[in-house]
Amino acid sequence: MEWETIWRILVFGLTIGCIYALIAVGLNLLWGTMRVLNIAHGQIIMLGGYTAFWLFTLYHISTFLSAVLAAVGGAALGLLIYRIIFSASLRTIKSPEAVEVFSLLIFFGVLILLENAACLVWTADLRGYVYLTQNVEIWGTPLALNRLFASLAAIAICLGFYIYLQRTLFGKVVRAVVQDKDAAQLVGVDVNKVYRFCFCIGFAMAGLAGALLSMLYAITPFIGLPYTMMALVVIVLGGIGNILGSLIGGLLLGLIITAGVAMTSPAFSLLILYGVFVLVILFMPAGILGRRLR
Amino acid sequence: MTPKTRMLTILIPIFIILSTLPLYAPAYYISLSIIIFMYAILGVSWIIISGYTGYISLGIAAFFGIGAYVTVLFWTTFPLPLPILIVLGGLVSAFFAAVIGFPILRIRGPYFVFVTLGLSMLLKYVFEVYQAYVLKRVGIPLLGPPSMEVLYYSLLVLGIITIVSAHVIKNSKFGLGLFSIRGDEEAAEAMGVNTTMYKVAAFAISSLFMGSAGAIVALRWTWIEPHIVFNPMITFQASIMALLGGWTDFRGPILGAVVLVLIAEAFGIRYPYHYLILLGITLILLVKFLPMGLIGAIERLRIGKKQVSEVKDAGS
Repeated sequence: MEWETIWRILVFGLTIGCIYALIAVGLNLLWGTMRVLNIAHGQIIMLGGYTAFWLFTLYHISTFLSAVLAAVGGAALGLLIYRIIFSASLRTIKSPEAVEVFSLLIFFGVLILLENAACLVWTADLRGYVYLTQNVEIWGTPLALNRLFASLAAIAICLGFYIYLQRTLFGKVVRAVVQDKDAAQLVGVDVNKVYRFCFCIGFAMAGLAGALLSMLYAITPFIGLPYTMMALVVIVLGGIGNILGSLIGGLLLGLIITAGVAMTSPAFSLLILYGVFVLVILFMPAGILGRRLR
Repeated sequence: MTPKTRMLTILIPIFIILSTLPLYAPAYYISLSIIIFMYAILGVSWIIISGYTGYISLGIAAFFGIGAYVTVLFWTTFPLPLPILIVLGGLVSAFFAAVIGFPILRIRGPYFVFVTLGLSMLLKYVFEVYQAYVLKRVGIPLLGPPSMEVLYYSLLVLGIITIVSAHVIKNSKFGLGLFSIRGDEEAAEAMGVNTTMYKVAAFAISSLFMGSAGAIVALRWTWIEPHIVFNPMITFQASIMALLGGWTDFRGPILGAVVLVLIAEAFGIRYPYHYLILLGITLILLVKFLPMGLIGAIERLRIGKKQVSEVKDAGS
């Protein structure tokens, strides 16, 4: 392979990897703190994408503005689901495995609900729009401005959130809940507040990522599940509850998929994704950073 | 009446009605019954692994699809007699389940759920690539499929075998071992249950029936493509039916299949999205309020709350 191709794979892989990282961090926050598995994460991304699409198509609102709106909408939806379904159940269900299975089945219902509601309201047509498609050159590789800005926004949010968790008192509280929920409760942490926070931020990140992705790819009601799968691979690679791990994992998966597609054809992208997914869970359940789950 | 005779007084009339149905019922009811049978078989075979051991598999479509594909590939290239084709479809599916069972059944909880879902999506894309690059066409048309009555009776026989197997397994030492895995796998292992072999055997048996069902139903559809037979909706619907009915014995999935297929028939064709939205809401409500399913709820009314909570503790 020539140097130029490798460079191109690096640029494309890392830019898309930033967005994967953002998606995975949102999902990891719920899994890490509460053991809640949001398999409908991708459907929140889909809703964020439609938000940006309609705001741009109808009112020509910049995607970066509608990304903020999508994040607020996502947070509201997260809070709603937490209030209605999880706030009582998380108190009664004790074992982490039971929470995982319970939330998996609940969100499975949410997935079917949202996907078909989207089909009903917006039909199954491909929806895309043209925004910021001028190319800039990055050391010889042409890169569309929307891709560059979307990945910069995604990585900035991931890093910002990571620093927030590391540097503030509330961030420390969240990390304490990730490490040991019961011990955190013993020293006076209001676990419910942390849960509420994680539901809001996790869903907000998904909505935001969806808005950013809508600039790059066309949206259909069915784009959700592959993104959820991607996020799960990233989380397994980087470790549950490990935000920095998700960041590294996201970039790595971006590179793997981009390289795989570059060597075969775009028709293989989902095949590669699911192949990597099965292989990672089978052979690397402890992830790249090697911290065992249980 | 003992429970056994009571069960027989219910089952024998049902069996007589079902086995004579094609003689007098219009074709529409036969084709509706085929769909109900298909989901009932998938649901009952699903509980053999997921209900008994607690390993929730979202890979139903994978095993169904393998059975379907094997049969259709043989049917179009090298036509064997129908019973052999059905058994072959089931056996290939069971063999595949046994081979992948060893690595994937070591994985527990959500990881197992994901890996089965991922595997069935992976198979769908593998077969899509196979269609596109090896067969060089989108799907396989099916010429001269067997008549609907033949398929109806094949499914009926398969259904009876599946139900009897599920029932016999539940009341055997093997079944006790499977339920002990669900209760506490480490304790079961310490008590001398060969958990790996038990899980793989249950996984392979359940895939045998799923694959055979796929083999029969594929012959009913006259056009086969990966997108249709590996459709994750098959997994979703079959597992939701089992959850709706109750997933600790064979009655639950059958009840769930009858209820949901009839609802799907009433709404699903004209309002497919409304039906699926309803299905999603049903699942959420079920998991939140009715974790033991309809059969569990009926039993709760019958024998009182205290005993059910004991059953629940033993089961979860």
